[in-house]
Amino acid sequence: MRNLKNQSDKGASQSIFRLGIGCVVLTILLSSCSPKLSVLEEPQQQEYKQFKTKYSIIFIIHGDGDYLYLDAKDNEYSADEETVMNAKKVAEQNPNAEVFIFHQKPKKHFLLFFPRRDGEFYYYRNGQLIANELYWRDQEKSNFNLEVALYRQYHSGNQDKLINMFLYFGHEIPEAGGAGYDESYPDRSFTIDNLASGMKSFTSDSIKFDLTVLSTCYGGTPYTIGKLIPLTQTIVASPENLYLSYFDLSPLERLDINLHDGNVPAFAKIFARQSFDELTSNIQTTVSVAVYDVKSVQNFVNSVQKDYNQTLNSLKGLTQANLAAIEHCDCADIPAYQISTINDGVDVLYRPARFGRSKNKQSHSGWECWKY
Amino acid sequence: MKAIIAFVSVLIMFVLVIPINAGGKGELQKHFSNVANKVKATENVAEKRAILENSFKDMSDALSKVQSSFLVSKEDQDGIENLKTILKENQDELAGINGYERVPDSQLNNFSNYVVQNMAQADQMITISLVAALLIILILVLVL
Repeated sequence: MRNLKNQSDKGASQSIFRLGIGCVVLTILLSSCSPKLSVLEEPQQQEYKQFKTKYSIIFIIHGDGDYLYLDAKDNEYSADEETVMNAKKVAEQNPNAEVFIFHQKPKKHFLLFFPRRDGEFYYYRNGQLIANELYWRDQEKSNFNLEVALYRQYHSGNQDKLINMFLYFGHEIPEAGGAGYDESYPDRSFTIDNLASGMKSFTSDSIKFDLTVLSTCYGGTPYTIGKLIPLTQTIVASPENLYLSYFDLSPLERLDINLHDGNVPAFAKIFARQSFDELTSNIQTTVSVAVYDVKSVQNFVNSVQKDYNQTLNSLKGLTQANLAAIEHCDCADIPAYQISTINDGVDVLYRPARFGRSKNKQSHSGWECWKY
Repeated sequence: MKAIIAFVSVLIMFVLVIPINAGGKGELQKHFSNVANKVKATENVAEKRAILENSFKDMSDALSKVQSSFLVSKEDQDGIENLKTILKENQDELAGINGYERVPDSQLNNFSNYVVQNMAQADQMITISLVAALLIILILVLVL
């Protein structure tokens, strides 16, 4: 009888132990999927939202690809993680700004089977982190639908005279096709058209971004700039290759000093110069940073649009590998683009690669084309 | 018994997945980075050139072997061909042939950095699968 009771006690304690283990596992599972990371309670959030801001900055940082790089000591870095860190520094050091940071991450699973959210969002206001959420990104086309929803949820829309900035960090954005841009979603597509439609959703029809920064390779093509013209006033982009260290964000860190006069085009030139100096001191490959005044470049873009689109159409049938074999070149090297307006509205900082076929090229028009 | 088999299978999957994810293109970058470090570590110019020449040759041989392997797809073969083209340009420049000025002795350290950065940039444009990247590394490490 005592034996039976002992066995029954033992069985009960084993069940409780198993239940306990189950609860712990479930808690870990649920916490790993938790969409909201605790930052500020709702009343405190409302309190912060009442403060006025002068600047609204959106960072989209693509990290779903090969962004690994090594320093001279073979330490591994992930360029997107580094950019997120620098964007947070910008957010923390601007007492008069609201900053949205969207980090697009690769698909990952918890315990191989449970999918984890592939986006992380940070919202800072007046230097304070207000919200930090995990979210699901768009599943087919990437038009920033989920990012726009979060932006609308937190953005304070009733303020006048905000200076709006949009910064995109990632690999070269395809001008057509776009499948495979996300390494972990090979069927999902992302193109310049998707970027433009996403940017449009962030703004209203009457408001343009004051500054757009395209921190990607080959951002200064007539097609890419043409797509951004209706959405922004000034663009900073790299017409040539841009090494993974990306544009330097430090000029954004104290906007109350660096942009005290509200002169965004002048600030864009300071931003471009800082990135150029930083890149040229560390990089042996080509460095090119250009500032585009969209009103002034409109004529050139309109004039060459037909030729450029023809080239794009002829590239559409090519495979990814074939496309990778086709070189880009300065548009000024192609007779059809050698027109009088080519230099209008573009300020170019250029240093050729230290080695390679183009090492003696002394200048760049700021417009990149396909050698095809 | 079935539970044990399932547990062991999951364990093996975990063990296999980690090195595969950590490898691939990162290892290719590491190869060029190691070469650059070796170049910078020696003062002897002839030795610097020899390190670069040998690394180009070894990588080129590894790429050719993987390219002709039945394990890689047509897309991989095209991607590898693109990598070989870039590598050949670097080889030519080092030797000063095919229209290139020979890389001056005083610039060999910078040239080795250029190769690392140039290959890292090419890596972004050229698509090769994880399997192909791992095969290249395996051949470099084990065969050559």
